[in-house]
Amino acid sequence: MQLFIEQLLNGVAMGAIYSLITLGLALVYGILRILHVAHAAVYTAGAYVGLYVFTLSGSLLLAVPAAMGACAALGVAVERFVYTPLLRFPPFVPLIGSIAVFLAMEEVFRLVGGPYILSFPAELPFSGITIRGVVVSPAILSIYAVSAAVLLLLWFIVTKTGLGLAMRATSQDRDIAGTMGINASFTISMTFVLGSAVAAVAGILVGIYYNQVYPTMGAVPAYKCLALIVVGGLGSLPGAVLASLLLGVGETLLIGYANIPLPRDSLAFIAMIAVLLWRPQGLLGGK
Amino acid sequence: MNDYSITILTFIAIQAIVACGLNVIVGYAGQISLGHAAFFGIGAYSSALLTTKAGLTFWAALPLVILITGSIGLVLGMPSLRLREDFLAVTTIGINFIVESVFLYVPFFGGALGLGGIPSITLLGTRLRGPKFLYLCLVLLGLVLLISRRFTKSWAGLACFALREEETAASSMGVSPIRFKLLAFVLGTAMAGMGGALYAHLMRFISATDFGFPLSITLMSMVVLGGIGTLWGPVIGALILGVLPEVFRPLIDYRMLLNAAILLLMIRFQPAGLLGEGSLLRRLFRRKGGTSNG
Amino acid sequence: MDDVLLRLDSVSKHFGGLKAVDDVSFELAKGEILGLIGPNGAGKTTCFNLISGVYTPTSGAIYLEGKTTGGLPPYRMAALGVGRTFQVVKPFSTLSVVRNVMVALGLKRYGGVLSSFAPWETKKSRKEAMTLLEEVGIAHLADTPSGQLPLGNQRRLELARALALRPGLLLLDETFSGLRHEEISLLSKLVLEVRNKGISVLLIEHNMKVAMGLSDRLVVLDHGRLLAEGKPEDIRSDPAVIEAYLGKGASANAS
Repeated sequence: MQLFIEQLLNGVAMGAIYSLITLGLALVYGILRILHVAHAAVYTAGAYVGLYVFTLSGSLLLAVPAAMGACAALGVAVERFVYTPLLRFPPFVPLIGSIAVFLAMEEVFRLVGGPYILSFPAELPFSGITIRGVVVSPAILSIYAVSAAVLLLLWFIVTKTGLGLAMRATSQDRDIAGTMGINASFTISMTFVLGSAVAAVAGILVGIYYNQVYPTMGAVPAYKCLALIVVGGLGSLPGAVLASLLLGVGETLLIGYANIPLPRDSLAFIAMIAVLLWRPQGLLGGK
Repeated sequence: MNDYSITILTFIAIQAIVACGLNVIVGYAGQISLGHAAFFGIGAYSSALLTTKAGLTFWAALPLVILITGSIGLVLGMPSLRLREDFLAVTTIGINFIVESVFLYVPFFGGALGLGGIPSITLLGTRLRGPKFLYLCLVLLGLVLLISRRFTKSWAGLACFALREEETAASSMGVSPIRFKLLAFVLGTAMAGMGGALYAHLMRFISATDFGFPLSITLMSMVVLGGIGTLWGPVIGALILGVLPEVFRPLIDYRMLLNAAILLLMIRFQPAGLLGEGSLLRRLFRRKGGTSNG
Repeated sequence: MDDVLLRLDSVSKHFGGLKAVDDVSFELAKGEILGLIGPNGAGKTTCFNLISGVYTPTSGAIYLEGKTTGGLPPYRMAALGVGRTFQVVKPFSTLSVVRNVMVALGLKRYGGVLSSFAPWETKKSRKEAMTLLEEVGIAHLADTPSGQLPLGNQRRLELARALALRPGLLLLDETFSGLRHEEISLLSKLVLEVRNKGISVLLIEHNMKVAMGLSDRLVVLDHGRLLAEGKPEDIRSDPAVIEAYLGKGASANAS
């Protein structure tokens, strides 16, 4: 029983990390209707920049904001140079652009950072706790704490601030939002800033948790998180979080308990197809 | 021409066949498919199994391979093609991953070790290898191009073009969207299946990772590069993307980066492809009469 | 009853809580031009979408020549002889004008598997398409990519496409909006010719002059409900209709 709870907690932690990545995807899809595959490159960049700054300074307190800033810039660059010019074309055009950016970035990481797995030996500012015999490691605890903080902040921004309102209005109807004085271009860029910064945090968390930073660490999240936003309901932020948590728990329990001859990574897509068959608009999708 | 060049050209020819199939789906019917490599794999595995475990010759197996691949395309297409564009994109990615997993984990398909011992193709007593195999591929490529061309000239093709441009309007003119999208999808996947069969008998050994998502991206890149919806586009795309790695071979470390960069530049500045409308190439060789499909 | 082509019987279309069309009934007789008017948001285009098969009625029934059609998809409605134009024009942009019309000429081909394999670009089909283009007056633009046409010509193309279906019922959705004076009179004459050939017309129009001038009868919708029905003279002076238009601050466009 105790093992089950520990597995469950692991699963929730995985889910929390997925949600940090998936939220960025959901935000971008909501506002531009683009499947932002390159987001996974931003996530990986977060891990690399975080590691680099940490190695130089020895401080996570410096590394995290540095990574967030760098990734925000990267995200906006992709939006400005690739997506916005391609918006007038059919959707697969920016999608291919996104995939091309992602593949190119993977190569850049490999060439600049080396093809090896780098370790991220950061000390987390939490100590493990034990509740009734269930051990919760510092890593898991920090994932909970950090993701909760980030999610809360994001929730606050999206629902309570003017920017959040602008974001929601622009995703509904860009032109009408424009006539109401909303600067669509700025709002779109800010969306990328938020999503990318959050992904950077995810990258650092993963880097520390697994003690691994490598060029292709974004490959699996790139496509798995696409399935997750579909399951959650394209563009639905709560849906993205819900789907991520469910998958995190599902995957962890599946490896732990079931003996299905299909790899963990396909589960997301199988779940997606199952959900689409039952509820074509996704779990929390509208319309 | 040396053996190495012949092998490269054979690969290119096979990939061109598969890319032509993708062009029917994406270019003619306007449906996105990012999992086309899965059907390439289904064709390869079908032919491999039919010729090894069932003892058929390549020629006897080929019609079955096309039938099997097309049927699976039909079954997978029916629910998928009803989905909106973005859902369809992710679903096709999912199909690719799931099919690859099935090949990798279900023992019948050889699992991680793949399938080996695939016989070579014999025609009238001679084994087809090297240049002869290339000729076979070129002949079948020619066949695929002929079928594609014939398709664009048929009412079914016209219906697909109309669907691609304006689905609601096309539907109001009697074009059943699901029927014609499926038709294009089945045709496209069947072509991929045929390419897969050729691949299996060329390599004599196949494994699941040959047919993963990265290949789907490469195939899509070929179609985009050459010009979506043009007849020769996929062939040009396959040629360029097949030759490019060889050209960049000396820069071996930067090869992948250059490939990705070229794809990015292409899609960013010439999304219609080299042969597409308004492309640089077209404007250099200005022609009257419009595109091959309208 | 015999010469009723289209009949809506207590048709409703609800989108969640929104009653876009609420318990609407009316008839269209064969050979009639019926105008569907009403202020913005009255549910006129929703009615069209219900009739042409884009939407399925939430309740009520639609009869075409006595047979129920509610729920049939647009491609089946086309086969049953319903042709329509769209308020926001939908040309097949990369196809040339004449090829746009040819798509519609293939109506009978799209139903069969073998029949759709026949070639479409024949002398015969081109001639048929050109004839239709001549009727609407854009034959000289036959090989122009349809996406490049100005609005007036695109509306004429929509009409030609709908006519190519050889429909018994023609639905015109704001075909006259955004057009210049000369274009309006030209198209009006066209519509009358179409009716004289035996095709019944149901048209949505905001331009009151056109609607009153062309229609034999009018049906007025407001907030999804049937407000009034009758001859143009009667509708024009109906206080409820006037209030529906002016009372909402929307003035009747009597240019």
